[in-house]
Amino acid sequence: MKEDFTIARAWLERIQALPIEHPVAVMNVCGGHERSLTQLGLRGVLPPNVKLIPGPGCPVCVCPEEDLADAIALALTGKVTLVAFGDMLRVPINAPKGEVRSLAEARAKGADVRPISSPQEAVALATKSEKPVVFFVAGFETTTAPVAAMLAQGVPENLSVLLAARLTWPAVDALLRDPEARLDALIAPGHVATVMGANEWGFVADKYHLPVAVAGFSANSLLAALYSVLRQKLEGKPFLDNCYAELVAPEGNKRAQALLAGVMEVTDANWRGIGVIPRSGFALRGEWRRYDARERFEFAAQPRRRTGEMPPGCDCAAVVLGKKQPDQCRLYGKACTPQNPVGPCMVSDEGACHIWWQGGTRAAA
Amino acid sequence: MCLGIPMQVVAIDGFNAECEARGVMRTVSLFMIGENEVAVGDYVMVHVGYALRKMTPEDARLSWELFDEILEAAGE
Repeated sequence: MKEDFTIARAWLERIQALPIEHPVAVMNVCGGHERSLTQLGLRGVLPPNVKLIPGPGCPVCVCPEEDLADAIALALTGKVTLVAFGDMLRVPINAPKGEVRSLAEARAKGADVRPISSPQEAVALATKSEKPVVFFVAGFETTTAPVAAMLAQGVPENLSVLLAARLTWPAVDALLRDPEARLDALIAPGHVATVMGANEWGFVADKYHLPVAVAGFSANSLLAALYSVLRQKLEGKPFLDNCYAELVAPEGNKRAQALLAGVMEVTDANWRGIGVIPRSGFALRGEWRRYDARERFEFAAQPRRRTGEMPPGCDCAAVVLGKKQPDQCRLYGKACTPQNPVGPCMVSDEGACHIWWQGGTRAAA
Repeated sequence: MCLGIPMQVVAIDGFNAECEARGVMRTVSLFMIGENEVAVGDYVMVHVGYALRKMTPEDARLSWELFDEILEAAGE
């Protein structure tokens, strides 16, 4: 049994019937959305004036170099087991030739670095281990809330976290505040909204007068959301629509939010390639700070000359900001491929470049 | 990392649930939704080993079909 595409087809026909006379730029901020849009081939069937733009939807891609350098330095002390979601291991940082540029390279040099796919794996490992275990966490609210839940539920004393966690909506707010932003509508991330609530995205309509719809990951939900924002745009009446109501409540998962607020506080945070965005990151709060690896261990990361920047020649910063499409990068498909990635957007499963490559775009435009 | 996977609850022990999806079993934490919110046989959307929210069987089925399609297309 396959997804019933008759509903999706009906949405598509309704979109095709809309009088869209000027280009409309619709941004998504979720690697899962970009993956669905690309794999379903929606760019090929939508009216040419509908431009789908991947935005800052990849937490691995925006994890700052200083945090990666800290994780590498800590792993290289040899005193800890460092665990991280698999994507993080191959993300390269700028470092002088011969120095360790990624967690994978640190592992090759003997550091105890292991990929995990769930916070419970970190807990299980720490329970069995005599050694300190450090969980390096890059992620949005969908990952940060489980990490807060993990700590709130209780963890072994030898487990600590190195946080590079980010909030999604402040990055969108920062993008829209930019007078050069040429965005006409937003598709809001379905699983972030499942945790934090659809209402969190109301500011797009209220503050910026732009159409916004929360979407899930099926063709039905994505096309319904696209239809909604296009229609809002044509009618000049933007509002917050929810096209993933089966999972997303207006107020979200309140228990998860309470866990998050109890364990973490919101701080200013640096985004790789973007810069510091006010109140866009998480840090451990109060008594929970004793689980902060930065408080527990002494390690000296190499000072970096080009903090916050992407590798030379790499357009990941512009790609993350939606200013360039992946295939507009000079390195795409030539110097930079999933086998030999230069920038983080080609490394991560949620990076737009990796997703486009898997979707069949194999050369620069 | 935001790609959630719908799973069916097979057994519950406190905040831990044994969940199944397409023959694969996994221990899923119910800590983010509360232990009395879900019963054996229910479907949950799972992300990094934590249930984010309960879902209907129909929504679970639709998500899985999308997932299959993506895996098929991405298979290389």
